[in-house]
Amino acid sequence: MTTLVWVLVGLVLLGAYVTWTAGRLDRLHARVDAAWAALDAQLVRRAAAARALAPFVEDPASAARLDEAAHRAVEAGAEDRETVENDLSRALRVAVPRLAPTAPVDELRAAASKVALARSFHNAAVKDTRTVRWRRLPRLLRLAGHRAMPTFFEIDDTALAG
Amino acid sequence: MRVGIVCPYTWDVPGGVQAHVRDLADSLLELGHEVSVLTPVDEPDEADLPPYVVPAGRAVPVPYNGSVARLAFGPLSLARTRRWLREGGFDVLHIHEPTVPSLSMLACFAASGPMVATFHTATTKSRALQVFGSVLQPGLEKITGRIAVSPAARRVVVEHLGGDAVLIPNGVSVRRFEGAGPLPDQPAVPTVAFLGRIDEPRKGLAVLLEALPELVELVPDVRLLVAGPGDVEEVRESVPASLRGHVELLGMVSDADKPRVYASGDIYCAPNTHGESFGIVLIEAMATGTPVVASDLEAFRRVLEEGRAGVLVPVADPAALATALAELLGDPDRRAALAKVGREAVQQYDWSTVTARIVEVYETVVAVEAELDHAVDVDHAVDAFADDLADVLDDDPSRLSAALRRWLSRTPS
Repeated sequence: MTTLVWVLVGLVLLGAYVTWTAGRLDRLHARVDAAWAALDAQLVRRAAAARALAPFVEDPASAARLDEAAHRAVEAGAEDRETVENDLSRALRVAVPRLAPTAPVDELRAAASKVALARSFHNAAVKDTRTVRWRRLPRLLRLAGHRAMPTFFEIDDTALAG
Repeated sequence: MRVGIVCPYTWDVPGGVQAHVRDLADSLLELGHEVSVLTPVDEPDEADLPPYVVPAGRAVPVPYNGSVARLAFGPLSLARTRRWLREGGFDVLHIHEPTVPSLSMLACFAASGPMVATFHTATTKSRALQVFGSVLQPGLEKITGRIAVSPAARRVVVEHLGGDAVLIPNGVSVRRFEGAGPLPDQPAVPTVAFLGRIDEPRKGLAVLLEALPELVELVPDVRLLVAGPGDVEEVRESVPASLRGHVELLGMVSDADKPRVYASGDIYCAPNTHGESFGIVLIEAMATGTPVVASDLEAFRRVLEEGRAGVLVPVADPAALATALAELLGDPDRRAALAKVGREAVQQYDWSTVTARIVEVYETVVAVEAELDHAVDVDHAVDAFADDLADVLDDDPSRLSAALRRWLSRTPS
């Protein structure tokens, strides 16, 4: 009889833990999605600001390259996003020192600085989520459902940032 | 923005975190934000509290991490924290040291919405973090924006809590040092100022005193103005009797007098031998318009911009130090030029600049939270729409809402 009670208590505790962890994973995934949406918005803002600066680049080749890189960054799909954004970072590194003194760089600076922050917060959320998902129980019981494992977004965003 | 700040340590006991919170709150107010600070206060009636401070009661001394921390923890503190959160209606909540078992941790668990945390501790061997790290994790997961004040503090976050933090260093009140005048009754002789613990070898006073004989040979009327806590008599004994007239030992000076000590020097000398991570003294001296001669340490080189904003000398080399000091004392034009460059170089360390960066963090976190709310709104809208559609089509609402979600996820936003 007592064994049965203990088994029941154990099952109830396990059930509570599983429910809580599933809820926690749900919140974590929601935070990753929200952080990505915020990062996405800043990346688009950065690309738009970069494109607006292209006419102010004094060397035509760098100007063309910046314009093209910025254009591709706006159009990019999810798969090659890192490559395309890195390319834009490189184009910015070349173009920014060649800007005319009258170029309005404030918007680009603000966007670049926000990209760095949003990326750091996104990757922290991804790390938190992955840590919980890699634990034995959530993996065994598939507590994350069919959701894909969130991935880090790694680009060089140091150009112009803070 | 309405910003709620939580300080875990007793407000009326001096400390680094408290000073950080006070300076941050002041400069947020200056930028036109609204600020409320929740903190333990021991003597709310006697302490001269700024209007934005909300006392959360007395703190209890607890041995923690090898020293005694005064912490507020328990049902009463929790109730006060909840009330403050409810009545505050903050756009963003900024928690300092969320892993310290005090108001910060309580707020972390009680709050929801946009949250930012600043990590100050650089101790890698935190027993509490090792033991309770995984227990704290669910609370910390709610914090979207994590700030570390130093590379060492950032390492603690990465190693013990996972995730990452953005590096935003402590600010310096550059404004408080600008325009400072010298101490009263200063003799009109070439003066080299030093400020720091006089009995701590790594601050390098010994190197400066060793350079004195040669410096006196080059500049016969030179004077060393030495301020800082420590055994004054012991230092006086260490100077040869014939040179004691060249050294003025002030002992410990008040915070109000610090800017005037820098301003009393024609040069500020930082002969540190090692162990400096930031170089606040240099920034303070440069803010008063005093040119700096400093050891070629990594942190100092960064502040002095590779020697553009001040003179760098080899570490622990009294002869080189004496030569550099004598040269600069004999060159008023160079001193004026360095003072000008220095004043401009330190602006980036001022609290106004640092606070602008912290406000950017607030804005980013608020944007993330808005996306969360938006996602919830879309969720509700989809469910409501599926329900309505189910009535019309006489179909199963859950099947419809699943189909709608599949369709939404295929549509580019």
